[in-house]
Amino acid sequence: MSQNLGRIQRKEMLLAYALLLPSLVFLAAFTYWPIVRSIWFSLNDVLLGDPDIFWLGAENYLRLLNDRLFWKVLGNTAFYTFTSVPLSIAAALLLAVALDSKLRGMAFYRSAFFYPVMIPSVAAGMVWVFLYAPGYGPINEALTGLGLPRLDWLYDSKWALPAIVIMSIWKYSGYFMLILLAALKLVPSDLYEAARLDGVSAFDRLVHITIPMISPTLYFVIIIGTLHSYQIFDYVYVMTQGGPADSTNVLTFYIYQNGFQYQDIGYASALANALLIFVLGLIGLVSLTLGRRVHYLGER
Amino acid sequence: MALDTPLSPEMTAAPPVARRSNWRRALKGQWLHVIMLPLSLLWLCPLIWIAVTSLKTSAEVFDPAAGFFPATPKFSNYPSTLSVAPFGKYLVNSIIVTSSILAGQLVTITLAAYAFARLNFPGKNLLFTLFLLQVMFPIYAIFLTNFVTLREMGLVNTIPAMIVPFVASGYGTFMLRQSFRQVPSELSDAARLDGCNHLEILWHVYLPLVKPTLLAFAIISVVTHWNDYMWPLLVTNSEAIRTLPIGLGLLAKADSGADWPRLMAGTTIVVSPLLILFVIFQRRFIDSFMHTGVK
Amino acid sequence: MATVQLNNVSKSYGKSRTVHDISLTIEDKEFMVMVGPSGCGKSTTLRMIAGLEDITSGQLVIDGRDVTDAPPQKRDIAMVFQSYALYPHMTAYRNMAFGLMKTTRLTKAEIDARIGKAAEILHITDLLDRRPKELSGGERQRVAIGRALVRQPKVFLFDEPLSNLDAKLRNRMRAELKRLHTELGLTVIYVTHDQIEAMTLGTRVAMMSKGRLQQVGAPMDIYMKPANTFVATFIGSPEMGLIPCRSSAGKIGHNAFVQELTLGQDLPESIIIGVRPEEMTIRREGMARGRVERTELIGAEALVEVALGEQLVTIRSPVSDAPNIGDEVGVDFDLSRMRVFDAASGHAIFPRL
Repeated sequence: MSQNLGRIQRKEMLLAYALLLPSLVFLAAFTYWPIVRSIWFSLNDVLLGDPDIFWLGAENYLRLLNDRLFWKVLGNTAFYTFTSVPLSIAAALLLAVALDSKLRGMAFYRSAFFYPVMIPSVAAGMVWVFLYAPGYGPINEALTGLGLPRLDWLYDSKWALPAIVIMSIWKYSGYFMLILLAALKLVPSDLYEAARLDGVSAFDRLVHITIPMISPTLYFVIIIGTLHSYQIFDYVYVMTQGGPADSTNVLTFYIYQNGFQYQDIGYASALANALLIFVLGLIGLVSLTLGRRVHYLGER
Repeated sequence: MALDTPLSPEMTAAPPVARRSNWRRALKGQWLHVIMLPLSLLWLCPLIWIAVTSLKTSAEVFDPAAGFFPATPKFSNYPSTLSVAPFGKYLVNSIIVTSSILAGQLVTITLAAYAFARLNFPGKNLLFTLFLLQVMFPIYAIFLTNFVTLREMGLVNTIPAMIVPFVASGYGTFMLRQSFRQVPSELSDAARLDGCNHLEILWHVYLPLVKPTLLAFAIISVVTHWNDYMWPLLVTNSEAIRTLPIGLGLLAKADSGADWPRLMAGTTIVVSPLLILFVIFQRRFIDSFMHTGVK
Repeated sequence: MATVQLNNVSKSYGKSRTVHDISLTIEDKEFMVMVGPSGCGKSTTLRMIAGLEDITSGQLVIDGRDVTDAPPQKRDIAMVFQSYALYPHMTAYRNMAFGLMKTTRLTKAEIDARIGKAAEILHITDLLDRRPKELSGGERQRVAIGRALVRQPKVFLFDEPLSNLDAKLRNRMRAELKRLHTELGLTVIYVTHDQIEAMTLGTRVAMMSKGRLQQVGAPMDIYMKPANTFVATFIGSPEMGLIPCRSSAGKIGHNAFVQELTLGQDLPESIIIGVRPEEMTIRREGMARGRVERTELIGAEALVEVALGEQLVTIRSPVSDAPNIGDEVGVDFDLSRMRVFDAASGHAIFPRL
């Protein structure tokens, strides 16, 4: 009789594996196998389309450590992530708090801030190239109108990366705003009423009630934002090609340059692994510093 | 939704003190418009510029004195854009790629999510972690190797190359598993008594009940892959299989930034399909993206 | 319709055993109620009969056929669930038709006829086009019963089907179930934790506790002759008074007794006597003396709680004769109905009286 139990359990087990198989095949082939392979590539001299492979050991990594451009690119990547993610989330939080009230035209505002998410990155990049154009671009025209000095934006190595950061805020804060709005709606309104009775100011309500109450979602948004920030590749490709003077060259673009333009798969793989470590390290950092402080409202 | 409900009659008939605070609250609402309205217009600026520029002449674009609107809308920018780039072909390719990815994902995530939600098997937690980790891995760390793999398979510069890396979705599996777990287990008991096996229970009971989740996932997937630029850029090099974003990128390269009206006409063509759908099904789109964060 | 036989049926999850060696035969056209507190294994047993849980060991026979390993749809059973488990996305009609389409080869017309007939019996003909969301609790309940009826199974299984209804509706549905059972001649296995449901519905009652069958019998038999102290207190409300006594040479003694009682029987040294509230009368004098701790007027009668020594017993009394709290009263027992249990094991001592 216990055999019977085993039989039914085995049947369920086999069914489960069969159901997982389609996903696992694709996950293995296009997510996990590539990671293994790229570790192997990074230890060899591999050229795109060249069947000959030479063992290099750690040489690609030594090269990476001595590659001044790599460190510059890493700095750019960190700058972009550490500015664009906090700034767009801060903007998203303020927008969400403003819209989480009985405001007329709610639907209009929501859509106005959210629609950039629907725009393909290549189209967004292109429009902003136009907006940033030094000679005739509307942004410089507006600066002149306000009596401010004009900037060369994407052609200025000081301003090119910040220009992309500004564009990112426009592109992504609407998405984060929506997620935060959903969380704000779950905050019990009696908390605000109690605080108002206690004479707590609007700013203190934001800092001491709103942010702690939605901290799990905020945390989630920070992770999503970090993962999204690697899409900067598209903007760099469309807007600057890494220039001027590599001031907008970021890790993802540098991998592309080495792998596809110089066809050096080995070195590009070493860079890709550096990116992977960078991302996982970042997520680890976020979950260690913020994850512990998150005020969980129990499992939902 | 509750936010749009008008004030109830009792509130308007409230005593003077309360009425004053209502009035103040209303004023506060109005006051927010002073910030929000200009801000939202600022956000809309890029879209406005796309549309306006697509109707200008090149001369008007470069002349700061020409004013914001074109003297006469030049609609011929659109036919001339379509004559230099086969946007019809790109559109078809985009539809094929996006819908194939979605179809593949719906199959893989439905099956996997059911296994994770309702079956017991050894290694369940480990496998689930593998699915979740996929969400964390940036495709930028593996696109190179994937390119090499597809090259070896002879798939570079084919439609399937744009599809296969995205068929499995850890994120979709997670989302759907959460929904499946909300279905009461008595319903699957009832279905078993009604003669259903696991696959039939999945088809007749679970799937109809999680339609909103499927729709939300579908919207997010379509937006992501419809707009995807990097991967199609790497694996395509012939006109016949390019998607809309790639076509637009090429147009920009060909024009090297000189012919802004034509480029903006192309941009309008590329951004329109999703934006039109967004305007029509606004609530659905908003809800789908809104609840990606709240389990 | 047919008999159901459980032969030493057990259920284990890993090492813990939740159902122990249940042997029970449900006769044709019988209304068998399995009753017990939550966690006693009654639902697990029902789910094993349904085929929703594997039977760890033992044998299940339905209508002479061994179905221990058969899948649910091959057992010729139908089940009504506590939450009704109606498919939310299907109309009432589709809910009833779904199982028929999956398990039988009936034509559309035949299915239509069966559903029509069941709907008529259950008075839900007008509701067939509605979805569960548009039905009240009682209506959903009827559709759920209808879904079982149209299958024309050999055995009907009910898992606490009335517990989600309010008290008034529960009474009505109880009567309705009784009517369906007698009119249609159904074989029913019915699980509940509610002893009133068990007493009023069952032709026989199977009392369970801690995964074991405690007693099987007609409701009045169980009420009058409980097999042990657990059954004695679970069935009946207010519950039976249990008074631990000492006995020697056929005499039963207790501090509160005026004199030792004689039951004329050989008994172990320590015993427990069991008397129901209606089997005691409050007298000025009496077989025992006690103090009134609490009285409760419930309309037609009063419930009087009397402390006999350290033991509290509840006594039914006419309202007019109800004593006041703190009164010292005498209590008479109906000796012809007094039950005796072995204090060590809790088992009833038979034969008695």
